[in-house]
Amino acid sequence: MTIAIQALTKIYNPESDFPVAAVKSLDLTIAQGEFVAIMGPSGSGKTTLLNMIGGIDSPTSGAVLIDGEDITRLSEQALIAFRRDHVGFIFQDYSLLPVLTALENVEFVMQLQGHSEAECRERAMALLTQVGLTDQKDKIPAKLSGGQQQRVAVARALAPRPRFVMADEPTANLDAKSTAELLDIMQSLNEQEGTTFIFSTHDPRVIARAKRVIVFEDGRLVEDRRQ
Amino acid sequence: MTKDNSGWHPPMLALLAWRNLWRNRLRTSIMVCAMVFGLVGVVVMIGFMTGMYANMIDNAVAWQTSHLQVHNKDYLLDPAINSRIRAPEPVLAKLSEIPEVQGVSARFVVQGMLASPRASRGIRINGVDPAAEARVTPIADNITQGGWLEAGGRHPIVISEKTASRLKLRLGSKVVLTFSNADKAVSGAAFRVAGLYRSPSSTFDEANAYVRRADLTALAGLDGVHEIAIRLTKSDSLDNSRAKALARRLSSVLAPQDRVRDWQEIQPMLATIIAQMDTSNAVILLIFISALGLGIANIMLMAVFERTREFGVLMAIGMVKRKILGLILLESLLLGLTGALLGLLLSVMVITLLGETGIPLGSMADGLGAFGVSTTLYPQVALAQYLLTLAMVVVVSLLAALYPARQIIKQRPVDAMAQKH
Repeated sequence: MTIAIQALTKIYNPESDFPVAAVKSLDLTIAQGEFVAIMGPSGSGKTTLLNMIGGIDSPTSGAVLIDGEDITRLSEQALIAFRRDHVGFIFQDYSLLPVLTALENVEFVMQLQGHSEAECRERAMALLTQVGLTDQKDKIPAKLSGGQQQRVAVARALAPRPRFVMADEPTANLDAKSTAELLDIMQSLNEQEGTTFIFSTHDPRVIARAKRVIVFEDGRLVEDRRQ
Repeated sequence: MTKDNSGWHPPMLALLAWRNLWRNRLRTSIMVCAMVFGLVGVVVMIGFMTGMYANMIDNAVAWQTSHLQVHNKDYLLDPAINSRIRAPEPVLAKLSEIPEVQGVSARFVVQGMLASPRASRGIRINGVDPAAEARVTPIADNITQGGWLEAGGRHPIVISEKTASRLKLRLGSKVVLTFSNADKAVSGAAFRVAGLYRSPSSTFDEANAYVRRADLTALAGLDGVHEIAIRLTKSDSLDNSRAKALARRLSSVLAPQDRVRDWQEIQPMLATIIAQMDTSNAVILLIFISALGLGIANIMLMAVFERTREFGVLMAIGMVKRKILGLILLESLLLGLTGALLGLLLSVMVITLLGETGIPLGSMADGLGAFGVSTTLYPQVALAQYLLTLAMVVVVSLLAALYPARQIIKQRPVDAMAQKH
């Protein structure tokens, strides 16, 4: 799986007197299995870029090619199905469904995909084991710590076997120990399952573990380094 | 690259909707309580109204109209003593073959004057066969003093308590009955008060007295009958279809000059009462359902808009808008159903209890007596009424959630996720 971003531009309020260009004519390629951190100051356009790659926001111009198919041209229905089947999302505030248990949260997207109950249960249990939360599977998010909730979110993001995982500042609300645990888990999933991870982050601990760091400033790519 | 194999997962959606409903327990509980109390109030009100009208109709049918009556057409225009039924025998023979006929009373009826030493009153004198009349009307069971005409004696008369009081009569008092006979001459005789009755209708009581038919025909110098009253076995108070069906069967044996009418034709006001009752019940229900709909809409607006970001996340992770719409409608439906089922359950219990104990009308009874209403009311609610209420709650719950649901699903996920609430 390759993500090829071509001349991607996002301008907010383009018709107004004060248009804001969040992403400016960006070209970028991300290959299968990469562990990429996008860093930059607040307002630099990191989240906007992630949203467009993940298909939850549309660019003003340019293309996002996933294995050669431009997702910016997909119909709304096709885009929803694309996100469900191919993209895993991890949010800063975890965004788990508060009324579902950890296990049910992980099963949820697979159920949306139409998998059988047994399939959903088996994979959800396997993922919860991988993130070390088997004994917490029947707890609702409010009964879990922030670190545990984010680990459930990682399991949820991986449940539908996505082509890549988008994580918007996943460690922003976590302490050092939880951050380290989460990074270990994500790194091992990246290595074992070959899942591509793309983060936006300010966190030097995350940047230190990334294999590729893209520095973003004022809507433009200012540095792209591998480490 | 993409496939849309999104199946419909009712159990998963229902589970999510049910748990979402109870996220704010206080808010949902208050709404459910409001629905329960509102429903019980409305159902009891409808039950009271239906019970009162059904009672009025039951009493009118029992005492006054019976289910069917046969008359000479001329008698209906002018109740003259000569306007008798031309051929009562075929009708009576036909009626004796029909099992759903509970009783038949052939009456010789005259409009006359009842005089005591103290006063006199115009009155309708019903000449009846005592045993037959007792099978058609409940008069024999409503004798408050003395006995029914079957008791015997010379020229017995049964009058109402009210007439007795107006004419200052007591049991055993003599009264003189006068009327115009077939020759337009005044005919009359003395009768002795054998019994006093009381019906639920004070107006009926003022206007009717009963004597034996043979006594009256002898005085009139005429044979035959003016009225055949027919009582059917137990039937639904508000439904005259059985009476209508029997009327059609009887019309084949009637002489052309005679006519059979069902109770709604005899007293069109009863049909009007039924129509008016249906209208007033519908208005009560509509007001309640509208208020309920607004209440649910308010709850759903709050419940949905405070979760805008969550719906944005659901859209982002791949929940199609159709399912999000389904989820919101399901939450509203479950809220409506919870309130409606609890409310209706409590209503059934209250109505069943009041159906046993009755509601004493107390000081209202005298006033309502003029309309033929008994002193104790038994509220009644038909199964169809409960089902209609349930169906309306279901429909209004779904309608109430449409606006908030639409506001959510027309948003893009990125915009919904940007909302703090």
